Amino acid sequence: MTSPGSGTSATTELLTAADMAAYADFAEIPAKQWERQFEFTDRAVVRRRFQKGDIICREGEYGSTAFYIVQGKVDIFLSAPIAHAKSRKSERERQGLFGLIRRFATGLTTARQDQREEEEFRRWIPIDAPIDLAYDNPIDQLGPGDLFGEMTCMSFYPRSATVRAAEECVLLEMLRNVLELIKKSKSFKEKIESSYRDRALATHLKSVREFAELPDEFIDYLRPRVELLSFDPGDVICKQGDSADSLFLVRIGFVQVSQQHPGGDLVLSYLSRGQYFGEMGLIAGGVRTATCKALDNVEVVKINKPDFDVMVDRFPVVRAKLEVEAAKRAEATRLQTQAAPHVPLGRFLEQGLMNAQNVLLIDLQKCTRCDECVHACGSAHGGVTRLLRDGLRYDKFLVTTSCRQCTDPLCMVGCPVGSIRRRESLEVIIEDWCIGCKKCVNQCPYGNITIHGFDESQLARVYEGQKKQEVEDPSRPDQKRVMVLKATTCDLCSELAEPSCVYACPHDAAIRVHPREFFGEQFRQRS
Amino acid sequence: MVATGALTAGAAAGYAFYAANYPGGPSGGSWPGLLYGIAGSGAMLFAGLLSARKQVPTWRLGRAQTWLKGHIWLGLLSAPLILFHSGFHWGGLLEKVLWIVLAFIIASGMIGLILQQFLPRFMTKLVPMETIYEQIPHVCSVMQSNADTLVASICGPLGTEPPKEAGEEKPKRKPKDVQPLEGSGPLKDFYLCDVRPFLNGQYSRTGLLSSSSRAASVIEQVRIMLPPTLHETLDQLALFCEERRQLALQARLHHWLHGWLFVHIPLSVALLVLGVAHAVMALWY
Repeated sequence: MTSPGSGTSATTELLTAADMAAYADFAEIPAKQWERQFEFTDRAVVRRRFQKGDIICREGEYGSTAFYIVQGKVDIFLSAPIAHAKSRKSERERQGLFGLIRRFATGLTTARQDQREEEEFRRWIPIDAPIDLAYDNPIDQLGPGDLFGEMTCMSFYPRSATVRAAEECVLLEMLRNVLELIKKSKSFKEKIESSYRDRALATHLKSVREFAELPDEFIDYLRPRVELLSFDPGDVICKQGDSADSLFLVRIGFVQVSQQHPGGDLVLSYLSRGQYFGEMGLIAGGVRTATCKALDNVEVVKINKPDFDVMVDRFPVVRAKLEVEAAKRAEATRLQTQAAPHVPLGRFLEQGLMNAQNVLLIDLQKCTRCDECVHACGSAHGGVTRLLRDGLRYDKFLVTTSCRQCTDPLCMVGCPVGSIRRRESLEVIIEDWCIGCKKCVNQCPYGNITIHGFDESQLARVYEGQKKQEVEDPSRPDQKRVMVLKATTCDLCSELAEPSCVYACPHDAAIRVHPREFFGEQFRQRS
Repeated sequence: MVATGALTAGAAAGYAFYAANYPGGPSGGSWPGLLYGIAGSGAMLFAGLLSARKQVPTWRLGRAQTWLKGHIWLGLLSAPLILFHSGFHWGGLLEKVLWIVLAFIIASGMIGLILQQFLPRFMTKLVPMETIYEQIPHVCSVMQSNADTLVASICGPLGTEPPKEAGEEKPKRKPKDVQPLEGSGPLKDFYLCDVRPFLNGQYSRTGLLSSSSRAASVIEQVRIMLPPTLHETLDQLALFCEERRQLALQARLHHWLHGWLFVHIPLSVALLVLGVAHAVMALWY
């Protein structure tokens, strides 16, 4: 059980089985079941009272509990600036005669200031609550009867948002066993689902680029028709080859999308809240093209085929967008499954190179270990290098510790706000609403994601346009230096014509390559 | 290489014509001599700018590889140009010093170039456990800590302080005490006397475990004294020793790879300073 946020005046009361049974929302749960929960611990659920302004939980922190609001209202918001780390010549230094030869700096930049190619269309940011937050002003309120922190409780993901008492309020903080019990209650489940249909389904659907044009009337039409389904970790949601009968929208948890190939399954993607799957089979009017499996406790919105057909018939623009997306996904799959016929597969697979799309290799027979590549990377990224001249060897090459743009991007699993994703070009991109929780850093099997800290002076420009004053954390007024963390990966020095590490290598030893193509060619020549 | 060869040939032809026809013969003070001097100094100056270029790796002033090629070939070209500038005369004391410095710079540069052609291949082949050079002390410390844990889990408490890393204020937590296994005494003695100091102490090339063949023979002698159940632990210690030998070799090769720069760079700076002094004095007087 977590303690309330520091600096709060929250009080905690232990509850008994009788106390829980007395709550009208849980009246359906037999008293015996409550007693069983309390047999082993009397702290499975506690009642907390918070005063206005108290922080209930903070984004990025780890926890193991969910909260149910009994009384009062809470603000739920992202305090991290909605911006991404960007390395470039600073604006002041870009001008003038010597603008070409000025130093680089890494700063935070908003999507408005720097619209990245294929920037994710977003109006809403998914969080671990029954609502999504507006991209432009990520703050909202929850009230009595709302449940939040389910993913943290069920799967131990970091908190996705900061929650602060908007007035004096009472919350139940519960461990997983209690959460599971109350979700088994039919009436409680119906209440939660009804709340989701009424408040979140519309924003959830509209947060998907392809469904953004759907009018409210049609969402009203869908509202009672969609099914809300739950899956346990490992459950297969749909299987490759089965008849395609529905489209799924991820509501909670992570879904692994994989395809069967000779020699084993190939992971195509991981989907989190706000992403959808199952459209390819529906559009083609045939069978499922991939298997989708729940990685953790997953809840999805299921839109059945008849409703889907009505939607695409009535709104040709939706059909057109889905067809474009399906074609892109098919192309991405084709790229991933391209064979590398000349490469000896043993160590290639062991080192995950089959999954890599763009690796920084160092030819060890040419490299004098001068570390110019590392210095250049640091210089290009505000002093924080995104590469280490260390790693495993393959053939005469060192596969450096630098983002390799995996096709099986494990870094995406567990992001509490779904801010790390893959572009259509299959590159990994970290979206502006990263909260710096380091989950992706821990998830990356190769240690290739770094965390960059930004201080207050670097934040001023970003906060300016975002109305952030109203969501600043009041519990740390004495802290003069605010550090905001943002995850960063190799950006291939996209501001420049060539990655700095490659450009700065005096011995032609550093190269950025697609490993399957590169090693395929190397071994083909030798054979 | 072709361009440098062609430029050298052109400069030599020009010098032959100038030496044969210039009244009073070739000298540094003549106009053609001065031109050779300016060209040679320019080539040396460009070669010297490589270090400055490396300080600003993100500036798009040409690829580092191009700069290195320019450094090598223009640096080499500077020698015949200066020779033609002097008219094959040694000159006064300052000029003699300049000649010696230039000779050492070119020699150290050539040595460095040759070493950098071959040593990376050796290092790649001979040091498969290579790590980042600056990390070697840390890796050795971690290796010793791991070996301590391994041996202590079999031989009981070692009675040693856990290795302390640079900058670390408190030593690491001591491993949990266990009862020593029967027959593990020789292993503990061998570890404490020979292996442990070897893993994280001052490395000596003449040490008992510094040569792989000598180490293998010592390890076989210890093996005889141990029950078969402890052979696997001994093999793991042998692996640690192998890694330590490789890291020591890496450090040696690294010194060779970069050590010549401690001669090359200071002399280059000295050459540029003395070259300016030479130019000022020659033009003034």
